[in-house]
Amino acid sequence: MKTIIILFTLLTITSINAQSSYEKGMNKAFETWKNKKPDEAIHIFERIAKAEKENWLPYYYAAQIHITTTFSIQDAENIESRLSKAQEYLNEAKAITKENAELLIMEALLNTAYVAYNPSIYGMKRSPKVEQLYQKAKQLEPQNPRATLYHAEWKMGAANFFGNDPKVFCPEVEKAILYFEKEANDTPFYPKWGKNEIKRVQKQCSK
Amino acid sequence: MRLTLTIAFIFFFISIHAQTKVSGTVTAPSGAPIMGANVYLEGTYDGGSTDEKGSFFFTTSETGKQTLQVSFLSFETYTTTDEVSTMNDLKITLREDVNSLGSVVLNAGTLSAGDTSKTTVLSPMDIVTTAGSDGDYIAALQTLPGTSKVAEDGRLFVRGGDANEANIYIDGLSVFQPYTATTTNIPTRGRFSPFLFKGTNFSTGGYSAEYGGALSSVLLLNTIDEPDQEKTDISIINVGLGLGNTQKWKKNSLSINAFYLNLKPYQEIISQRIDWIKPYESLSGEAVYRYAFKKGLLKIYGGINYSNFNLIQEDINTPRGINFKLINRNTYLNTSYKGTLGNDWKITTGVSYANDRSDIKIENTAIDNQENNFHAKLKLRKRFSNRFKLSFGTEQFINTFTEQAKSPDFTTFNTSYTNNSTAAFTETNIFFSKKFAMQLGLRAVHNSLLHDTKISPRASLAYKTSDQSQVSIAYGDFYQNPEQAILKYNKTLEPQKSSHYILNYLYQHNKRTFRAEGYYKSYDRLLKFNTDTPEFSSIYTNSGSGYATGLDLFWRDNKSIKNIEYWLSYSYLDTKRNYKNYPTKATPNYAAKHNLSLVTKYWIEDWKSLISTTYSVASGRPYNNPNTPIFQNQKTKAYTSLNLSWAYLISQQKILYLSVSNILGADNIFNYQYANTPNSTGNFSRRAIRPGADQFVILGFFWTISDDKSDNQLDNL
Repeated sequence: MKTIIILFTLLTITSINAQSSYEKGMNKAFETWKNKKPDEAIHIFERIAKAEKENWLPYYYAAQIHITTTFSIQDAENIESRLSKAQEYLNEAKAITKENAELLIMEALLNTAYVAYNPSIYGMKRSPKVEQLYQKAKQLEPQNPRATLYHAEWKMGAANFFGNDPKVFCPEVEKAILYFEKEANDTPFYPKWGKNEIKRVQKQCSK
Repeated sequence: MRLTLTIAFIFFFISIHAQTKVSGTVTAPSGAPIMGANVYLEGTYDGGSTDEKGSFFFTTSETGKQTLQVSFLSFETYTTTDEVSTMNDLKITLREDVNSLGSVVLNAGTLSAGDTSKTTVLSPMDIVTTAGSDGDYIAALQTLPGTSKVAEDGRLFVRGGDANEANIYIDGLSVFQPYTATTTNIPTRGRFSPFLFKGTNFSTGGYSAEYGGALSSVLLLNTIDEPDQEKTDISIINVGLGLGNTQKWKKNSLSINAFYLNLKPYQEIISQRIDWIKPYESLSGEAVYRYAFKKGLLKIYGGINYSNFNLIQEDINTPRGINFKLINRNTYLNTSYKGTLGNDWKITTGVSYANDRSDIKIENTAIDNQENNFHAKLKLRKRFSNRFKLSFGTEQFINTFTEQAKSPDFTTFNTSYTNNSTAAFTETNIFFSKKFAMQLGLRAVHNSLLHDTKISPRASLAYKTSDQSQVSIAYGDFYQNPEQAILKYNKTLEPQKSSHYILNYLYQHNKRTFRAEGYYKSYDRLLKFNTDTPEFSSIYTNSGSGYATGLDLFWRDNKSIKNIEYWLSYSYLDTKRNYKNYPTKATPNYAAKHNLSLVTKYWIEDWKSLISTTYSVASGRPYNNPNTPIFQNQKTKAYTSLNLSWAYLISQQKILYLSVSNILGADNIFNYQYANTPNSTGNFSRRAIRPGADQFVILGFFWTISDDKSDNQLDNL
C-alpha cells in the first residue's frame, strides 16, 4: 500500500512536472527574448506552439517578436520574410481562437510594420486595414488598453501626416492608462504588455 | 527494500528519458553552415537552434520513433522520422524555398503593378496619380516602356503592334470592348474605373499560354478580393459627377459606382478645333459583388455604359466636313470563382459576356450593329511541390455579329457572322533552384468560322545573376483572328501570326529598379486588302508580313531624393510591315522610333499636396505624302507634352484636384490627311491631324465618407 502511495505520489510529481513544462518553456522563451536572442526565442515559441495545439499564445508571441524586430532592421528581404512569417503565425493562432482582440491588435501592428517599411507600396492598401483591425478589436473589448493606446498612436500619426492636431487623441491615451490599471486576466502568459509605451506615445501630448 | 528499488528504478527511468541526445549539423545546398535554424522533435518542447557552425545539440526524454523538424526562413522545412536514439551526428542539408522573396522570377515581357514588392515596377497608387492619366489606367500604362504614345487614339500600342493587337482581361476573363466607343481622331478611354482593381500585369510580349488571340500584348487586371471598409465616395468634376458606395456584411461585399460625364459645359467655355454638334455624353455604372466561401471566392462584376455624341469630322475631300453621330450601349458581365480543391489543386473558372450595340450615322448612311461575345474558362493547377507546378485548362469563345447599313444611295445591306473558338492550354513551372526557373506552355486553338487550328508554343527562362539582378528570356508564337471590320466581309482568311523573342535584365535594390528589355518580333500572314478601307468588294489575302525590334528601358528611383518618386521610360522601336493596303513594307503612322516618359510625384508635406508631372516626348511619326514617290517616308515633327496635376488634401477625406494637360501648349501634329485627287497645280493638298484641343483642364472635388475617416480618394485620381 505504502509503495502504491509513494509510486502514485511520484507519478503525480512527474505529471505536475510535465504540466509545468509549458510554463517552463514559456518562461525560457521570454528569458531568451529578454536576453536579446529574438530568433532563438521565436524557435522556442514555435516549438511550444507545435506541441500545444490548442494554445494560441506561443504563436502570438512568435509573431510579436518578428514584427518588433523589423522596426530595428533595414534589409528589405529580411523585413519581408519576417513579416510574412509573422502573418503565418497569426493565421495559425486565428485558426485556434476566433474573435480574439489581442490577435487583431497584433495584426494591426503587423500591417503598421508594412506601412512603416515601405509606405509607397503598402501604404494605400494596408492603412485602412490597420484602422479596421483596431476598430474591430475595440468592438470585442472596448476596454482593451493595447487597442486603445496603439489605435491612438496610429491616429496621431495620421493626424501628423495630414497636418492636423494629434493632441485630440490624448484623452484616448489617458483612457488607455486607466485600462492598463484595471487589466486582469487569469490565463497564464496572457498579453499584458504595452504599459511602458505610454510615455513614448504621450510625448506628442506635451509638445 | 522493494520500495527503494522501485523508487530507484523510477528515477533511473526518468533520468534515462532525460538523457537521449540529438545532434547534428545543418547546411545549405552550397555546403555553407546555416546558423539559427530551429531543430526540434515534433509535438515536444525539445529542440535547439544551430550555432555559427550549423551544429545543434539537445537532449530529450522522448523515446521510440519521433519526427525531427528543421526549419529556417527562406528554406524548405526538413522532416525525418526515425528512432530518437539514432538521431546523432545528423547531416542535414536544407533545400532553398523557391517561393521566398529572393527567388528568381519569370518576368520577361511583363510589367506588373501590384501590392507585392516582387518585381513590381508600379504600385496601384502610381497608376492613378500619374499626371495626364485623369483616372484612366490605360493612359497611365502609356508611360511604361514598350508603348507608343498615340494621343489621338488613346488605346494601347505595344511594340510596333497596332491597338487591335492588345487584349484586356479582368480576373482572367476576356473584356471584349475595353474602350469607350469613339471615332477617328477622338481619343478613347478605358471603360473601367481604376479603383476596382488591386493589381495589373501588363505583358508587352512573350506572355503565358493561358492567353491568346493577341499578336502583341495582354493586359491582366485583377479586381479587389475584399474591400477594406464600408464607404461612400462622391466626386464632383468640371466634366461630370460620380458616386460610389461599398457595403460589407458577413461573407459578402458589394461595391457600386456610377458616373455621368458631359463635355458640353466645358466645351462651351474652352474652344475646340472640332465642330461638336452634340458633345460627348456618357452614363456608366459598375457593380462588384463578392462572396467568400470556405475554400474559395466568387466575384460577379457587371458594367453598363451608355454614350453618345455628334460631330462634324473635318475631311480634306469634303470641305464642309462629314456629319458623324454615334450612340453606343455596352453591357458587360464577368463572373469568376477561384478556390482550392484540396491536395494542392486549385481551380479558377468563370464566364464573361458582353453585348455591344452601336447606332452610327455617317451623313445619310445609318449603320446599326450589334455584337455578342461570350467567354468561358476552366483552369486547374496542381502544385506537386514548390518546385514543380502544372496547370491546364480549356476555353470557349462565342462571338456573333450583325450589322445593317441603310442609305438612300443603296438598299439595305446586311452582314453577319458567328465566330466561335475553342482553346486548350497547359503550362508547367519548374524551379531548378532558387536561381534558375523555367516555364513551358502550349496552346491550341480551333476556330470554327475560319476552319482553322493553330498550336502555339510558349517558353521562358529566368536566371538570377546576383542578389539584386536577374536575366530572363522568353519565346512564343501568337495568333490572332482578322478583326471584325474584315471578318464581316470575308470568312476564308487565316489567323495572323507573330513570334516574340525577348531578352530581359532586371536590377532591383534599395527602392531602385532598372529594367532593360530587348526584343525581336516577326509578323506573318498579316491581312491585306486592295482598297482604301475594308469593303465588301475588296480582295483580301493573308500575304502581309513585318517585323518589330527594339529596346525598352525603365528606371525607377524612390530613394535618392526625399519626398520625390520618379520613373523614366525609354523605348526604341524599329518596325516595318506590309499590311492593309500598303504597297510596300513601311513603318505605320502610330510607330514613333523614340518614346520617352518621365513621371514624377512630389509630396509637399507643408502644403498637404501631391504634385505630379508627366513629361512625354516622341520622335516624329511617319506619314505618307502622295506628292513624293516613296510610300510613308515623311515624318511629322516630334511630339511633346508636359502634364501637371495637383491633389490638395483639404482634410483627411476631402481632396481638391487640378490637372492640366500639355501645360506648355505644344502644338502637336499626329498625321496628315491628303486629298484623294491632286489640285489644279498637280499637288495633293493636305490637312494636319491635331488634337481636338491643345490642353485639357480637370478641376474636381473628391469626398469620401467612411466610419474611420482615414480613407480618401487619392487612390482614385
